[in-house]
Amino acid sequence: MSDEIIPTKTIDECGKICPYPDMDTMTALKKMGKGEVLEVLLDYPLSVERIPRNMKKQGHKVLKVERLEGPNHRILIEAYGLKD
Amino acid sequence: MDPVITGLFVGVFVGFVMQRGRFCMNSAFRDIILLKDYTLIKTVVLALLVGLAGFAIMAYAGVITLNPKPLWWGANLIGSFIFGIGMVIAGGCASGITYRIGEGMVGAMTAVLGLAIGGYLTAAGFLNGIASSLQTSTKITAADGSNLTLANVLGINYSVLALIIVVIVVVIWYIIDRKNFEADAGWGWMTTGFLIGLGSILAFPLSAAAGRNYPLGITAGWVGTVKKVLNISEVSFSWIAWLVIGIVVGSFIAALIAKEFKLRAPAIRVLVQTFVGGLLMGFGAVTSGGCNIGHILSGVPQLSLGSILAAISIILGAWLMSYIMFVLPMKRAESED
Repeated sequence: MSDEIIPTKTIDECGKICPYPDMDTMTALKKMGKGEVLEVLLDYPLSVERIPRNMKKQGHKVLKVERLEGPNHRILIEAYGLKD
Repeated sequence: MDPVITGLFVGVFVGFVMQRGRFCMNSAFRDIILLKDYTLIKTVVLALLVGLAGFAIMAYAGVITLNPKPLWWGANLIGSFIFGIGMVIAGGCASGITYRIGEGMVGAMTAVLGLAIGGYLTAAGFLNGIASSLQTSTKITAADGSNLTLANVLGINYSVLALIIVVIVVVIWYIIDRKNFEADAGWGWMTTGFLIGLGSILAFPLSAAAGRNYPLGITAGWVGTVKKVLNISEVSFSWIAWLVIGIVVGSFIAALIAKEFKLRAPAIRVLVQTFVGGLLMGFGAVTSGGCNIGHILSGVPQLSLGSILAAISIILGAWLMSYIMFVLPMKRAESED
């Protein structure tokens, strides 16, 4: 893939359920600088839908929601830079 | 009609909708304070409004006879508060943990096991004394001995009052939230809320035809299943036991179709946690006379005062525990570095 985005940080939320994937994503993004990219790996369906929706509301940019295998997903989010 | 067929039918329908629409009241209540996300709570309110309108019409037409739960203010307050705390610890409300079994979540299975055992011990075991003394000592009925509802307190016909409430809530909702009102594609809050309400409407007459005059419920179904599996009681599977089994099957089918089924086991510590949460839910639900489905989805639309009090108590318990378990740790995590 030519447009491959290199994440600054990865969090593995597989096996975790509501609301941990959402909370961990929120906390991680708050600590990241503007333009840094967070990769979230998760397999909890509700959070796959809810994380992009809520992170957009907080000003972050959702770059990609990618389905891997079965319920496994990979979400890439560019931080808005709440830390700065 | 045969309770096996109608119970399973309604269960499979509701389970399918719950899985596709992620219908969980625990998430709905918690997301309000934790994520400021109102999608699931809108699903819940819409399901209640659809149920309310449906019950009003069916009661007026004589298709159903209302059966509101009694007001036991002490048991409703304490039992439902403990239920609310328990569902946050268990990671899902009674319906949430039930449909997630169908997605292959082992943590949901241990939570349901806790719910069933806690419920059984309260309904028929050593905890029964606490529950029944709370219920009898704080019971208030209408002058004629019937259970208190908003309709008989206000002296207005149920169907009329129900439709007035529907209209008022829809108007207020439209005014404050109309920019988010457009119908959504697929399984957004509007589709899910409408279909859950429809399930509740279908359940009432079908369950009544099988000898159980009440809409949807969860806890009693699991308690009955445990009794049967452990062969504690000779009774056969009731309508509500078939209903919960149907919900698991319906959710399993939906998860398979969506390719979301996967056996997922969290750490042992989490399994113990969800089991303990389930035990609290079982105790709370039986003490208060219903879980979030029996009281909120089925009881509030019948305008039972006991169910309305239980609903408030469940939400307060869930908020308290969510604050302790999630909001505080998140604030701590954000401040350290």
